[in-house]
Amino acid sequence: MILLLRSFLVPAGSVLLAFLTGGILLFLSGSHPVEAYIALFQGAFGDLSSISRTLEKATPLIMNGLAIAFALKAGLFNIGAQGQFLFGAFAAAVAGFYVQAIPSVFHIPLAIFAGMTAGGIYGLVQGALKAFSGAHEVITGIMCNYIAINMTDYLVNHPFRDRSPGNIVARTPQILDTSRFPDVAGIPLGFIAAIIAAILVWWIVRYAVFGFEIRVVGSGINAARYSGVRIRSVLMGTMLISGALAGLGGAVETQGVVHRFQPGFNTGLGFEGITIALLGRVHPLGIIPAAILIGAMKAGAGMMQFSAGVENEIIDVIQALILFFVTADVILQKMLPGIKWAEGERLSLSTGWGGNS
Amino acid sequence: MVDRALPAICIYCWIFTIILFPATAMSGCGDGKTFCIGLVTDVGVIDDKSFNQSAWEGVQKAGAELGAVIKYMETRDAKDYEQNIHMFAKNNYDVILTVGFALGEATIQAAGKYPRIAFIGIDQFQAKPVHNVAGLIFREDIAGFKAGALSSMLSKTNIIAAVMATDLVPPVAAFQKGYKAGARYINPDIKIISSFHPGGLDASFTDPEWGASTAAQAIAQGADVVFAAGGLTGNGALIEVAAHRGKYCIGVDTDQWFTVPSARSCLVSCALKQIAPAVFTLIKLAHQDQFPEGNYYGDVALSSFHDFDKKIPEKIKQDLLEIESRIKDGRITISADE
Amino acid sequence: MMAVSRLRPGARGEMLCVFLWISVTACIVCSYWISPVVTVAVLSSALRQSTPLVLGAMCGLLSERSGVMNIGIEGQMLMAAFWGFLMHVWTGSLMMGVISGLAAGAFAGFLFAWMSVSMKMDQIIAGTIINILAVGLTGFFYPTGMSSAGKLKIYSVPLLSEIPLAGPVLFRMSPIVFLTICIVFLLHYCLFYSRWGLRTRATGEHPKAAATMGISVVKLRYGNIMIGGCIAGLAGAFLSLESVGVFERGMTNGRGFIALAVMIFGKWTPIGAWGAALLFGLSMSVQTQLQFDRVLSLPHQFTGMLPYLITIIVLAIFIRRNRPPASLGVSCERE
Repeated sequence: MILLLRSFLVPAGSVLLAFLTGGILLFLSGSHPVEAYIALFQGAFGDLSSISRTLEKATPLIMNGLAIAFALKAGLFNIGAQGQFLFGAFAAAVAGFYVQAIPSVFHIPLAIFAGMTAGGIYGLVQGALKAFSGAHEVITGIMCNYIAINMTDYLVNHPFRDRSPGNIVARTPQILDTSRFPDVAGIPLGFIAAIIAAILVWWIVRYAVFGFEIRVVGSGINAARYSGVRIRSVLMGTMLISGALAGLGGAVETQGVVHRFQPGFNTGLGFEGITIALLGRVHPLGIIPAAILIGAMKAGAGMMQFSAGVENEIIDVIQALILFFVTADVILQKMLPGIKWAEGERLSLSTGWGGNS
Repeated sequence: MVDRALPAICIYCWIFTIILFPATAMSGCGDGKTFCIGLVTDVGVIDDKSFNQSAWEGVQKAGAELGAVIKYMETRDAKDYEQNIHMFAKNNYDVILTVGFALGEATIQAAGKYPRIAFIGIDQFQAKPVHNVAGLIFREDIAGFKAGALSSMLSKTNIIAAVMATDLVPPVAAFQKGYKAGARYINPDIKIISSFHPGGLDASFTDPEWGASTAAQAIAQGADVVFAAGGLTGNGALIEVAAHRGKYCIGVDTDQWFTVPSARSCLVSCALKQIAPAVFTLIKLAHQDQFPEGNYYGDVALSSFHDFDKKIPEKIKQDLLEIESRIKDGRITISADE
Repeated sequence: MMAVSRLRPGARGEMLCVFLWISVTACIVCSYWISPVVTVAVLSSALRQSTPLVLGAMCGLLSERSGVMNIGIEGQMLMAAFWGFLMHVWTGSLMMGVISGLAAGAFAGFLFAWMSVSMKMDQIIAGTIINILAVGLTGFFYPTGMSSAGKLKIYSVPLLSEIPLAGPVLFRMSPIVFLTICIVFLLHYCLFYSRWGLRTRATGEHPKAAATMGISVVKLRYGNIMIGGCIAGLAGAFLSLESVGVFERGMTNGRGFIALAVMIFGKWTPIGAWGAALLFGLSMSVQTQLQFDRVLSLPHQFTGMLPYLITIIVLAIFIRRNRPPASLGVSCERE
């Protein structure tokens, strides 16, 4: 019980500390901190529609966070999540408008499946490059991101362009109503999917045989070799699942929010996934609150700008502060000397660029 | 030590702030007397030295003249377009400007939801007129055509260059098309070397270094006039050309003589989209309840030659006027690509 | 395969690399024979585009060789580009600008070192914080309407710049590009042949053993990260004071991350990273040239993909395995 309380109290205290420090910054930049934070809160949780916007913003962050965290368990740093995400979003859009005259019950899963497959295959390519030639996934990931951007740019500008009269924009047609996500009891379906995905990932990592193999590979390549784990299959499988998670994120964005694929609408989400994964301490269930926190800041930023006149860049700085205080628990530790720190609770996830090969 | 002092400092500062700083008052839009104008930017910032900035200048001018309340919202994420427009609409703004083709869909949707608000969509072509939306669009191909003709006349090496962001953005594609057509109109044999940024839509407008090195690469193989269209990427190219003696550069969108002063030593002219005056006119029309629906064409032109005015031969100026009149009466049509 | 496997480990990769460079050189000579002007233009552009990547990679390499994973190169560059430009405008001196850029980079490095070494925060998070902070701060304090007095001038070495091909490419260039090449070789020498280099590598491989040998791991890491920050600062100064001439928001545009890839590509060695960056720069400028000459009548997205595709292909075929320093990412606890 104390453990549970502490695992909640410490991050909450850190976030509070970050907001307090951010308040000073807001004051210095000439806005009223209380007013700004009230606006932020209203924008993020003020009414039902803002809550659902917060969840909408959190959803792709959860997915990408999961993708990154899952790969990190095997010691792989999937910086290519952005590219997998883009392909997922694109494939879901194509499935969403090409396949016609089937009921929602089939169309929604079909488009999701298309997105997951596209993202998964793109991840698998990077996994296979790693497994068979040892090509480092950070390099292939960064390069694959640019290739994905160029590829989707081309696809929406030429073969899959929205040909409706009067359209001058490079984008796909809108997806059909049958493939769009409905809200379930006021909560976007995508968010529910993200929660289910998080629980599934947690289960795989914790209890499944494959999850065990992943953790063995993650703890060291030699140990894995001696314990008879098929390293190549594990690496490829990890990247496949990680890519599928990112692709699922893309599909959810297309089906739940954007309703088509348009370049420029999915910028930077893969990189934010890294932040989320680390903020959530690479724990599939820890990622959810982390994503909601950052999602709320994104959702509330507009209101903060509108009614408190806070410049957009300040939001970035506050985000950096949150990251800092949540990770640098040493500070809180010093301030709250009463709480005993357990050994091994320290956060060190980034062991060596996933130095496995 | 510092770690322990931190919370205390925080708390003091907070108390200080709350006492000293009263909350700002409400604006009073929608009371029938105050005229309110809101602007939603495309993803980016208001002082982008490009179309967001030009549009805001138009709004500022209108605000000063009409005594209106003006405000802008910078968009951080393309998915927030709708929400940002909604923010103004909910607060009963009278005119809402949305800047950039990407906001087209969100603007139409908001217009349906708030029929009493006038929407001005910059670079948004209206296929079906909506009574409270004016799409402010520009014939970038004509501006590009004139720039191309000017380049072609200025070039001594018969090689001219174009440094572009990406053809995914309709205005950039139109500029390029017009530029090529204009250059070939003057000299069919001219060599036009042009390149798009390899980073796709996400990175292509914010990479001045790429613009600069690409311009340098073009100059090194003999290009002596460089046309740069593409936000900050283009600005990088302009400044690079300024570092080379005897080369010319042509800017785009706004009069970059003012926005990119570092490029003055090469900047002969700019292919202008007169966003600010057109925005001003449209806002005034909205204020007088004469808001036009459908597409409203803003002016395009070449900017003044500034310091180069004396160096440009009279012949070239005459020819440009001639082209202008031929475009007007339809003797020149820009359609042929490549 | 049998014959190859009898060679000492790594030799096959080295042979392939040599083969790769011989063929690239042959291509360059051939194209110079066909069109000297274009070849020189492409090569100069390649050198120029590779410069920030090389410097970024050197920054990463310095901290990673001592065991600290550095994902914050992008942020360090951006802060330096910003501060360098600002100081240049205020003081009116380019030299002051460059020096302040270096100082800003070192300061960002210090911040990063404080978080990752002293606070023992996770190193990826520390780097990410630097990146986000740089975007926020430089964006917020963005100098509107400032213009500079100019940028660093191109310098031609008197006699050497007259040599065909090599002359105009190597000896007619701007100071930071030139300095970069010096830094690469200097770092290579220091890392592999000096006491400091030995200590750095020892710390990167096995910090505890290094500590028992009397090396102060914390001090060494601080030092290396801050020198690395200086070098990233030079990359920032290159962007805002030499190549472009002004500061713009987000002007690094992902170069810090590509530098990261370049560093790993070069197997955490200065010369290797330099080669990788040159390869990337070359494929970038060739890409531009292909669009200039309209060799391929494909949509420009396909030519745009080339640099990235080439990197992956070369990596998969020629470079293959890259082993990082053993203790990378593990914060060293003092026992």
